[in-house]
Amino acid sequence: MKTVFKKLFTFVITVLLVTLFVFIAFELIPGDAATARLGINATPEALSVLREELGLTRPFFVRYFSWLFSFFFGDMGTSYSYGVSVRSMLASKLPITLTLTLMSFVMVVVLSIPIGVITSKYEDRPASKIIDVIGQLTMSIPPFFLGIIVTYVFGMILHLFVPGGFVSYNVNFGKFLGYLVFPSFAIALPKAAMSTKLLKTSILSERKLDYVRTAYSRGNSTTDVMYKHVLKNAIIPVITFLGMTLADIVAGSLVIEQVFSIPGYGRLLITSISNRDYAVVQAIIAIIAMLVIIINLIVDILYQVLDPRLRGN
Amino acid sequence: MLEVTDLHIEIEDSLIPETVVHDFDITVSPGEIVGIVGESGSGKSMSAHAIAGLLSRKDMKKKGSIMFEGEELLSMPRSRLRDIQGDDIAVVFQEPMTSLNPVKTIGWQVEEAQRIHGNMSDEELRDAAIRMLRDVEIDEPERVYYKYPHELSGGMRQRVMIAAALICNPKLLIADEPTTALDVTIQAQIIELLKRINKEKGTAILFISHDLGLVRTLCSRVVVMNKGRITESGTVEEVFNHPREEYTKQLISAIPKFRKIAEASPVPDRKPILEVQNVSARYKKITGYFNPGAKQRLVVKNASFTMYEGEIIGLVGESGCGKTTLGKTILGMLDDTDGKIVHYSEMPQMIFQDPYGSLNPTKTVGWILEEPLRIKGGYSEKERSGKAREMLSLVGLDETYMKRKPDALSGGQRQRVCIALALMLGPKLIIADEPVSALDVTVQEQVINLLIKVNRELGVAILFISHDLKVVYELCSRIIVMKSGEIVEQGTDEEIYNNPQHPYTKQLLLSAGYTEVTQPDGI
Repeated sequence: MKTVFKKLFTFVITVLLVTLFVFIAFELIPGDAATARLGINATPEALSVLREELGLTRPFFVRYFSWLFSFFFGDMGTSYSYGVSVRSMLASKLPITLTLTLMSFVMVVVLSIPIGVITSKYEDRPASKIIDVIGQLTMSIPPFFLGIIVTYVFGMILHLFVPGGFVSYNVNFGKFLGYLVFPSFAIALPKAAMSTKLLKTSILSERKLDYVRTAYSRGNSTTDVMYKHVLKNAIIPVITFLGMTLADIVAGSLVIEQVFSIPGYGRLLITSISNRDYAVVQAIIAIIAMLVIIINLIVDILYQVLDPRLRGN
Repeated sequence: MLEVTDLHIEIEDSLIPETVVHDFDITVSPGEIVGIVGESGSGKSMSAHAIAGLLSRKDMKKKGSIMFEGEELLSMPRSRLRDIQGDDIAVVFQEPMTSLNPVKTIGWQVEEAQRIHGNMSDEELRDAAIRMLRDVEIDEPERVYYKYPHELSGGMRQRVMIAAALICNPKLLIADEPTTALDVTIQAQIIELLKRINKEKGTAILFISHDLGLVRTLCSRVVVMNKGRITESGTVEEVFNHPREEYTKQLISAIPKFRKIAEASPVPDRKPILEVQNVSARYKKITGYFNPGAKQRLVVKNASFTMYEGEIIGLVGESGCGKTTLGKTILGMLDDTDGKIVHYSEMPQMIFQDPYGSLNPTKTVGWILEEPLRIKGGYSEKERSGKAREMLSLVGLDETYMKRKPDALSGGQRQRVCIALALMLGPKLIIADEPVSALDVTVQEQVINLLIKVNRELGVAILFISHDLKVVYELCSRIIVMKSGEIVEQGTDEEIYNNPQHPYTKQLLLSAGYTEVTQPDGI
């Protein structure tokens, strides 16, 4: 109970700080929602009228806390540039970014765990070494560049998808998923390579420990030693990494959405920043921050499930 | 039942193939307890692991024959070997903490061999495991069944290891240094347990140990190994009472056996060098990042004693009794302490248990030795290296060691370097925390002789922290006994050993095998 309270406290503090920083950042950069909407040639009178109308003349902290108060009750305000409710804007785009993120994450797990287990088993075979080199190479490619390669190879050469031909989930869900496979792959590949490497190293070092010898002495086969003893121990550090990766994927998807022209949070965030559309930016950032904290919470819980040494008495 | 002949084990490293075990022969009959003794690196564990089928690395070549119940283990297919492992031959290892899987319950691990080799239902498995746990004298086995290794004490863990090994009622139990990592009172209990199992179940035991005293009390026959070869074998009677080989004699004479190496040095005027008055020390028990209300644990409670110039005091007790913490408190290495500590000398020094971890592996011995002088300042380069050479020669190492790195030294040589390091600033008091526990018996003896020499020649007082009452007896003139953070008894060696007052002191002495009668001729 105490732990839950503390976690909740951390959660609130983090969201407060992150949103406050965004507010401060907007104070510091030149231009505001009024200039963005009326353009550089607008008269000062028109600007001040609009500022008054948008509530931009109020003091900084008043604006921040009034935003925070509404946000707390589920009101994310109105977009300065589009004049529609931020909540409905974000709600319609949430399935897109969420699907992209989850699909990438599933790919990381599905690729890295079997490959990690197999390459550690056949550690000194040439094939395992080749996979290592490919992994190293993949890790060093920036995601947006990988996005371009994926578009070129799967879109232009193999014609497995039409680049730029995004289909929304409410039009055709199957095609929507089919399109997202490729951007997800571009996000997942470098992460999967890192996770594979980490799992492999972890398995190799676990295999040297005494309890593995004990397991063999009881008549376990090599396969049983791996799945009944080593894997559960070796996966513990990988879980931490996967938790961080999931948070990272959320950020990575913002970039990849640009490359594959997917109308998710990423594109919305970038247009909203150039439009000085605080309300939208604030909401997106707050949601991402909350997501990251929730993911960390899940990792903490998983940790305790997997490692009895971390459970309190 | 088991007959090993001409076993050779060769490690084919990328450089030069090295034979680590030569011409190893041993036989074990049903119900017999046979010992293999030797110092670290003698090949005793390697041979035992070969018998248990645990040397499967591709770069290990085995030649010779290991016949078990009429079958050749070395040439049989892996699948057949797996049928025997855990079912007919079971192993108990040295370090029960690391030898148990940290993320599996005790019950799961005790059942494992039975799950692999038998065909019991889950309830039957559970009943068998709980019966077995009770059989190795674990209290409340129903509760322990659901626990994890880290929740148990060292002695309990080793009982669990034994229970897990015995679950299929094996014909041969290989016990590889099963008591080395345990406290002396627990050690005695585990040995009793092994004896009882041997008697009641008729399990043959192959007992591997560096401790000749233990082998003598437990085994009927013994094989002595040195540098990968058997130097001598025979009944315990023959080997211990009429050793033929020089190495065996040397090994036997090096056994600490409640014999004074040196009499207490005469103290002309008892000038105090250290006064400890009502000292308590606590550790904050950190219960997690989200629990800043950390609980405090009192590790040393109200300790008081006085130490005089030039004397050697033994501070004894089992692991976790607070003896190391008291040592650290005296040197001011801990923050959260109460009471008063008065030093009458400058710069007391400490020597640690593990000579492997105590020296920076990337620096030369010369650099390490000169470091205290560099930090203190005011010495020329020549003075520093001169002092380092002087201390090296005092601890019996020549100048060539100045240029070597710790990795190139043996355990005993490293501990000599640690002693030289402690002497660099010319202290009058050294706190030695289990300085010989990590060393082989023959090396142990040399290091103890060196400490006595340092004490005699330089007049350095030594607070000798140890769990080993035999070693303490060899060099200490006064003894302090600690239990659960408290000093329960202190007195001269005569008083403590021959007229112990506290029941705990009596128990310690009994576990260590000390009786006044055995004192003159040993063990």
